[in-house]
Amino acid sequence: MTRSFSGETVLAGIDLRVDRGETWGLVGPAASGKSVMLKTLCGLLPPDAGAVVVDGEDIAAATEERLMLVRARFGMLFQNNALFDFMTVGDNVAFPLVRRGGVEPKEIRARVSARLRAVGLAGTEDKFPSELSGGMRKRVGIARAVIARPDIVIYDEPTAGLDPVTTQKVYDLLARERDATGATVVVVSSDLDALLRFVPRVGMIYQGKLRYDGPAKKARDADDPVVRQFVRGDIEGPL
Amino acid sequence: MSRVEAFRDGAKLFRRIVVRTAVGSLRGRRPPGEVLRQMEQVGNRSVVFIAVTLGFIGMVLVFQTCLQINRVTGDLSQVGAEFLKILVHEFGPTLTAMMLATRVGAGIAAEVGSMVVTEQVDALRMCGVEPVEYLIVPRFLASLVMTGVLTVFGVAVAITMGTLTAYLTFHVNPRIFLDLGRVSLGDLATGGLKVIAYGAAIPIVSGFAGLGARGGSEGVGWATTRAVIASSFTVIVLDLVLSGVGLFLLQGGA
Repeated sequence: MTRSFSGETVLAGIDLRVDRGETWGLVGPAASGKSVMLKTLCGLLPPDAGAVVVDGEDIAAATEERLMLVRARFGMLFQNNALFDFMTVGDNVAFPLVRRGGVEPKEIRARVSARLRAVGLAGTEDKFPSELSGGMRKRVGIARAVIARPDIVIYDEPTAGLDPVTTQKVYDLLARERDATGATVVVVSSDLDALLRFVPRVGMIYQGKLRYDGPAKKARDADDPVVRQFVRGDIEGPL
Repeated sequence: MSRVEAFRDGAKLFRRIVVRTAVGSLRGRRPPGEVLRQMEQVGNRSVVFIAVTLGFIGMVLVFQTCLQINRVTGDLSQVGAEFLKILVHEFGPTLTAMMLATRVGAGIAAEVGSMVVTEQVDALRMCGVEPVEYLIVPRFLASLVMTGVLTVFGVAVAITMGTLTAYLTFHVNPRIFLDLGRVSLGDLATGGLKVIAYGAAIPIVSGFAGLGARGGSEGVGWATTRAVIASSFTVIVLDLVLSGVGLFLLQGGA
């Protein structure tokens, strides 16, 4: 798929396949198109050309009505959490279930409490996002992303701005969620060490192209000097 | 983005907002109580603003008219009748809408625009929500109702203040001033038509500005400015068109 903004190519012919139940990580320098790629994968942004096939259906050509149904299979944590600031934490987490319908209010409340307990935020249902710290907001975002047990979960920078201990806690949480649900997981993170421990397979995007897509353990020794320098964090190199 | 692309994307977004608002108003799924909450935002919180504005305009209009007529003929018996007529079909709806375009239009654009730039609108879409139906439709319905209510209220305030001004400064008897004989059904229909058109246009134009916001807080600022300018401009253009329609089709050219 390709995607441009204002004549500037952000995704220049990305070719990628993520299998059901797989966990795939994406890394790349700042403003290299990682978030654009995630939004294209879940149908929030249409590609200029190419196809985005989800479970056999090309969503690049789908109508907005159809896309709404497809997106219901996704859960997404946004880079800045994107919590609804006019809702309480409890209402934020419950929102995907409420909108989907078919679940009793009592059941929704129970599931919200359970999700918040799982992310270490029991009893925060009545608080507003503005009353929480950055790490707490991130965890509320994760709870909202997974509460409807989606088939595919996308995490955009799940640990941005968090301290190392909280970062590890968040990745432990993501691993527990993944193991419990068996969902397909796509993660973008700038925290390479933690990400490479979490994902078995990783891709690197640079100048609109996927420069690497392979085992996370081998990324440090990739043939491509750009990938090697980025993953190792070397100062000297082509970047 | 080239100007052609920007225009094409803008036209597409505007069409989507109009269509989705129309469809969503008839059968959309709205958050419970949201229309009432928006009616409070649009209506209750504009009451003082509208009362002060329309009250002062009523006073100034009557004072200036009486002053000029006093200098020429001195016969002030028709001032009230003409004041009521023009207030019903022109100044009442249009000035109320102009005030709402600034207060309500800015509010809608800022609220929706900040949701766009903080990805809350994308989060809504990921939860299977159509943003126009969720964010614009309740404001649209609230605006339709409350523009009418506030116009009636504003006209009442303007009449009261105009009557008092005429009586206290030019000694015009209120019984003579409050002459509804010149107000026709056509005037009422023209005023009503304008109220509906303005009430529909303000949230759509402001919502368009808000949903088109890009970037960060600067983008929200621009969206708010655009909403105020575009809403006010739309009210003026609609006034021109509907005044023509009203004059020739509803008021019998009078």
